[in-house]
Amino acid sequence: MSCQVVFQPSGRRGMIESGSTLLEVARELGIDIESPCSGTKNCGKCKVKIEEGYYEKLGLTSHISHVSPLTESEKIALQPEEVRANYRLACCTQIKGDLLVFVPEESRSTQQIVLETGKDRLLQVNPAVHKYFVKMIPASMDDHRGDFDRLKASLLAQYTHLNQELSIDYTVLLSLPKTVRQGKWSVTATLWKNQVIIALEPGLVEAAYGVAIDVGTTTVAAYLCDLLTGKVLQQDSMMNPQIRYGEDVLSRITYGMNNDNGLAIMHQTVIEGINTLVSRLSEASGINVEQVADMVLVFNSAMHHIALNIDPSYMGRAPFAPAIRASLDIKARDLGIRIAPGGNIHCLPVEAGFVGPDNVAVLIAEEPHKQEKRMLIIDIGTNGEIDFGNKERLLSTSCATGPALEGAQIKFGMRAAPGAIETVLLDPVSLEPRFKVIGEANWYHPSQTIKAKGICGSGIIDIIAEMFKSGIIDTSGKFNMQLSSPRIRRDAHNKPEYVLVWAEETSIGSDITVTQGDVRAIQLAKAALYVGAKILMQKWGTNQVDSVTLAGAFGSYINKESALVIGLFPDCDLAKVVAVGNAAGDGAKLALLDADKRTDAQAVADIIQFVETAVEPDFQTQFIQALNFPHSNDTFPHIQHILDKIPTIKP
Amino acid sequence: MEKQQILAKLQKAVEEMENDLAEEAANEAVAAGINPQEAISEGLAKGMQTLSQLFDDGDVFVPQLLLAAEAFEAAVDIITAAMSAEEKSQASQGKVLIHTVQGDIHDIGKNIVKTMLAASGFEIIDLGRDVAVEEVVKQAIEHKVDIIAGSALMTTTMPAQRDIISVLKEEGVRDQFKVMYGGAPVSQEWIEKIGADAYGETATEAIAKAIALMAEKRGA
Repeated sequence: MSCQVVFQPSGRRGMIESGSTLLEVARELGIDIESPCSGTKNCGKCKVKIEEGYYEKLGLTSHISHVSPLTESEKIALQPEEVRANYRLACCTQIKGDLLVFVPEESRSTQQIVLETGKDRLLQVNPAVHKYFVKMIPASMDDHRGDFDRLKASLLAQYTHLNQELSIDYTVLLSLPKTVRQGKWSVTATLWKNQVIIALEPGLVEAAYGVAIDVGTTTVAAYLCDLLTGKVLQQDSMMNPQIRYGEDVLSRITYGMNNDNGLAIMHQTVIEGINTLVSRLSEASGINVEQVADMVLVFNSAMHHIALNIDPSYMGRAPFAPAIRASLDIKARDLGIRIAPGGNIHCLPVEAGFVGPDNVAVLIAEEPHKQEKRMLIIDIGTNGEIDFGNKERLLSTSCATGPALEGAQIKFGMRAAPGAIETVLLDPVSLEPRFKVIGEANWYHPSQTIKAKGICGSGIIDIIAEMFKSGIIDTSGKFNMQLSSPRIRRDAHNKPEYVLVWAEETSIGSDITVTQGDVRAIQLAKAALYVGAKILMQKWGTNQVDSVTLAGAFGSYINKESALVIGLFPDCDLAKVVAVGNAAGDGAKLALLDADKRTDAQAVADIIQFVETAVEPDFQTQFIQALNFPHSNDTFPHIQHILDKIPTIKP
Repeated sequence: MEKQQILAKLQKAVEEMENDLAEEAANEAVAAGINPQEAISEGLAKGMQTLSQLFDDGDVFVPQLLLAAEAFEAAVDIITAAMSAEEKSQASQGKVLIHTVQGDIHDIGKNIVKTMLAASGFEIIDLGRDVAVEEVVKQAIEHKVDIIAGSALMTTTMPAQRDIISVLKEEGVRDQFKVMYGGAPVSQEWIEKIGADAYGETATEAIAKAIALMAEKRGA
């Protein structure tokens, strides 16, 4: 039986075979519903409301009986009043008849704020493609050479540094006879590595363009660069359109494993996203997409495989072997990427299963392998990547921080989007909070237009640190229920929580709280990160960190002091803790603008030593020690003055 | 010292996660000639129940739970030192084969469940992590275990749980074992879908489920 399903407020609709779940249908129709657990029925974030009644305009009758009965997972995730109001979880609810479904604001995946500007970096402009203008000897009855032979001879004669084995891309050959005559035997050839003619234009054309793209699990960031000046002309970004198939890399890999053509669909989706970005960038700069002659892609290992249409299944389980580690040069047309048809797509190398080209990009941007100081580089995304070392020795690992640090698995967690609480301070005496939401410049005031909707990653780090500093939670993460504040209370299940925002000050109509469960989720995530760093330091043979570099958007927004107070990473002088923004994107740009950086990338990927920290013999012991705030054993001299002020709980 | 006082001391030692106190009380129990099973069930196990409840409520966390289990085990070692293997086996709640599934290397969750099961009187065989599907079945048959317990921490490794059930059926031994699974991405729906017997959302729930499965098995 096919049923008519309409989603509000987007108004998107489709005729659907009964039996599909609302989440599946929403994905098919391109409606982004939050599903951090990727439909495994664990997170309870995909709440939707089944509207009841006859809707004349839509020509359908919607009723709660048109969906499958309430499941156990829903009974746990939904409040009784929500069940009465016909709220259901989209992942659990099967379609049995015509439906009008309302997606509430809290369930909508909203546009994320992306940090597109990294720090200023020195670079040498030495791209992989160059343009050469030549005047050819016209064909005549005395000169029977082919057009290509003629072009090659002229190029080699005029530019002696070119590779003698000069060749021409097939697609360029197709238009070669016409182009050389159009230009009256004067043409500009675009050469890749001074060896392959990948584009040919009549007359003299100087401008050359390239695009660098960081394909993140959540966000795709793209930069259009001028290959002559090294300048970034335009930048743009979008949500990774694959997000509808799962929020994290594992759920995408699983989607590929469980669905026929799943891999092909995800591959196609991200290529379309890349093409959209390239055409938006080109349009904004007044150029043609075919004028883009070179591209560099960086991604995590899973996004690498999926974007290149390589089966990622085996990378999703031990021993996490990737299909290939070496860097790749692939013709744009082989991937269906619309730039110059003969253009090349360079993909930086993979380090190990969960340490991908994006981490290599961070390394060529930050260059720890060229430093005396021992750098700790932490790239916190959906998966955390850590590098430690200097020019003597460099180690890396990945750690399963889970998405808690980005706001998932947190009761009122959300992405960094308007309405998210991003900064929090607590008054140590009254225990009253002050907070800022994204979209408003100042501390919260009742008259402001954007009300609080949830808490994003930086806000969570802040509130946990503040609760610890004010004694609301102790070093083990336990609430002190002796404190007298209306904000400290027990929830319906008798579990402690702190009310950060009262219902009337929110846009969601309920109190925004920080629960004992949230504290535990952050403890697990921060312990994973801390232990990853610590084990690398131990392997390197030191307990000293000279500097900490926080890469990624998340690292740019978190309060460094709060991060150290909860023990997100080992003790370090706060003045030496720097946020560098999207260093992976910067590395991609560097590799686009300077071909030597591609060589450097392969070299550093070859020397770096990957450590699978989770299988280290004392991982569990170290992990348990790292659960406490800031740590059970390790000292934090640089913030000791803050720790000293924490009120001790009266027994 | 009175028997009741010793039992209370055993309980308190676990609740307060005090190894030394647990050992002291255990030695007193032995000296007073208290039945080992009674010392465990009426003393130590009660302490563990308190801790489990506090863990469920969020009042204590993983480190405290493990400390309590250490105190429990230290006392059990002393109390049961004089018992023969046969006596120990008779006192056992059941034999559990525990593992982290093939392709998965994260095992802290599994280790917590293991510790809690041991502290609840189960005999445990731990195969470690990334254990091949066939190996799990082979070992289960060899050791004649009552329960196969496995955890998967990634959506990509969950299928191994289904594969274990399939191999058990192929070998014609499915009805000899109770199979229970856990892990962050695992759910009751998944358990039902693949035909396993029980799902533990938390460590304490896993223990309760294991006890219920044993009651079912021994009753059957």
